[in-house]
Amino acid sequence: MHSVIGLIFGNTRSDILQGLAQDRPIAAVPFGGRYRLLDFALSSMVNSGIRTVGLVTPHHYRPVLDHLGAGKDFSLDRKAGGLFILPGAIHGLIGDKSKFRIKDICLNIEFLQKDFSENVVISYCNQVYNINYRDALEFHNQKQADITLIYKETDDPLDMSGRVILYIGKDQHVHKLQEKYEDDPTEQAQPYFVDMLIIRRTLLLDIIQGYKCIENIDLLDALRDNLTTLKVYGYNFTAYIGRIDSIKDYFDRNMDLFKPEIRKELFLSRDRIHTKIRDNPPTKYGSKAKVSNSLLASGCCIDGEVENSILSRGVVIKPGCMIKNSIIMQKCIIGKNAVLENVILDKFVEVNEGNVLKGSENNPLVLYKKTVV
Amino acid sequence: MLKKECIAMLLAGGQGSRLGCLTRNIAKPAVSFGGKYRIIDFSLSNCTNSNIDTVGVLTQYKPFLLNSYIGMGSAWDLDNTFGGVHILPPYVGETQGSWYKGTANAIYQNMDFIHHYNPDYVLIISGDHIYKMDYSAMLKFHKEKESEVTISTVEVAWEEAPRLGIMTVDENSRILKFTEKPSEPESKLASMGVYIFDWSVLKDALLEDEGDLESDNDFGKNVIPRLLRQGTKLFAFKFQGYWRDVGTIESYYDANMELLNGANSLDIFDPEFRIFSNEGILSPQFVGSKARIENSLVSNGCTILGEVSNSILAPGVYVGEGAKVKDSIILHHTKIHENCFVQRAIVGENAEIMSQSCIGVQAKGHLEQAGITVVQDHQVIPQGSVIKEGRNVYRTR
Repeated sequence: MHSVIGLIFGNTRSDILQGLAQDRPIAAVPFGGRYRLLDFALSSMVNSGIRTVGLVTPHHYRPVLDHLGAGKDFSLDRKAGGLFILPGAIHGLIGDKSKFRIKDICLNIEFLQKDFSENVVISYCNQVYNINYRDALEFHNQKQADITLIYKETDDPLDMSGRVILYIGKDQHVHKLQEKYEDDPTEQAQPYFVDMLIIRRTLLLDIIQGYKCIENIDLLDALRDNLTTLKVYGYNFTAYIGRIDSIKDYFDRNMDLFKPEIRKELFLSRDRIHTKIRDNPPTKYGSKAKVSNSLLASGCCIDGEVENSILSRGVVIKPGCMIKNSIIMQKCIIGKNAVLENVILDKFVEVNEGNVLKGSENNPLVLYKKTVV
Repeated sequence: MLKKECIAMLLAGGQGSRLGCLTRNIAKPAVSFGGKYRIIDFSLSNCTNSNIDTVGVLTQYKPFLLNSYIGMGSAWDLDNTFGGVHILPPYVGETQGSWYKGTANAIYQNMDFIHHYNPDYVLIISGDHIYKMDYSAMLKFHKEKESEVTISTVEVAWEEAPRLGIMTVDENSRILKFTEKPSEPESKLASMGVYIFDWSVLKDALLEDEGDLESDNDFGKNVIPRLLRQGTKLFAFKFQGYWRDVGTIESYYDANMELLNGANSLDIFDPEFRIFSNEGILSPQFVGSKARIENSLVSNGCTILGEVSNSILAPGVYVGEGAKVKDSIILHHTKIHENCFVQRAIVGENAEIMSQSCIGVQAKGHLEQAGITVVQDHQVIPQGSVIKEGRNVYRTR
């Protein structure tokens, strides 16, 4: 797969995650106990044999670099290729919905110019999945396509809101891209773009050259402009792709991990999701621990009750605690007899003895990093 | 010329035959310990935490898993441009070379390696002890005392002393007498198998030992007593802290269990002195809705659907619904299926215990190895088997 390189847009911050993405890009939001969201995008590329990956980061990229380092845990510390950190442009508005901004690639154009590969796989990083691009790349080459857009089909309107709908003719040819609006319910299944695409590298360079003078234009808009002249195909993926576009999504996608088939596909298939390895000790369960239906990372000390919850590394649960339907990130300390239900605790939160924190299932309570309550 | 102040030689070639079926296929330093660790992790992590960045690992017995586990040492931050981990297997040359005949002979055969780094001091350690130690404190002691050979010592119980190298020291910590495995020990001060030699002293001692045809080429048995006789300055460094030899099934089992219960055991949670290991890529552990886990250590990648108590589970272990695991040590990627009962057992790596089986059923009469049942790695125990306590189950296929 030396003819392919990867490009991940990990630079968007967002206000939709109620503070989880306030000081870090969405890419670096912790997920599933051990991971950050970008692990899924990055691992899928590495597992597909892609040895050169550029990661567009926001200008404040400490959390991303802290997690990736030189890319060793992803086998991306290479002499030839490897991981490239591409600091993106400074964008004004945090709520900007744009995903693949040409300006960001333009600033890092050397990454694309210096390479010799034929194609570039581009993905965004607010989704949880474990996929292999090999088949899609083969399809792309077979069709001699300029661009292959990866899509999934669904009839669930929730999955589709804010997505781009593809109109696919015979031979998988894409002839129209249409934004999906919420007040446009449809009954039948429609193919929607899952924010991953394969594009010829030289074409991408041409597009950047042509559009760079336009402020804040998205690659997808440029594509739409030229849809009639380019060979654009769609490739159908059936894999699980869990999108995180709101705090409810974040909560639900985490809870999806309790479904055996999803957990199996994400974590136990032949391709593994890589993440930063921290060498924590095993998790210690005390004599008063009572844990059911939960996922726990290493290095935790559990002495209370935990149910339907996800605990990151190094979490301490003191005796008498009742933790239910909650997501607790790295190094949180929950004092004696505290009760948590439907709560998301960002890293290093301390809950003092006896406190009761409850959110609702549709509106989980989020506590910011380093809060002490 | 580049040189190092101190390099470490790690003896990892022993079979550890007293560990029975645990070391049938792998060398003792590669045996799993405390869930996610392997025994050698402790020595290698000690080196990292003591700023010793050059380690020669002497391997001999069934080295494949050990070698692949160590790799180039990056898991312990020991991958350096000058230095790092080197695996040193026995080799042959035109006239010389053979299997390692003893601990001293193993170092003797790799004198070229030590020459390459031309150190002032050589630290000799073994890969089969569980302890956390800052070797730099011992090196400081070695320099302060102007010692030529320093042996790290620990106080042990009287009943343990006959198994170890015991020494008598004067008030200035100078060693007066050293006896390997004495039947009637004179003191409780035991050698931990950790030595610091002045390189020049070590070189002469090894050459002399090699010339002695009567010698077993062993540090404890031959080299140290000879040096003592010759009046070399040997000092005993007193190590304070947890140290365990895990040479037998019983001591291996007890040392593991001390991680769960012992108040003065090894602190694996200490963020300032971390034990590193070479981890695979694993998911978080999943605890099912009917699971019950108490007083246990559980590693990444485990799936627990049954009951686990007072046990240590290595990465990737599966415990099926209705299964009960009690007072046991389950090693990497072993599967224990539905409704099994496992008690006071050590189950080797990648083993599989089919449903409805009972491991460690109470037996009458004299019990071997304190009633601990051991199942060899990769063994498949058929459905409904009953295995009495204290037995060793060797691999059949």
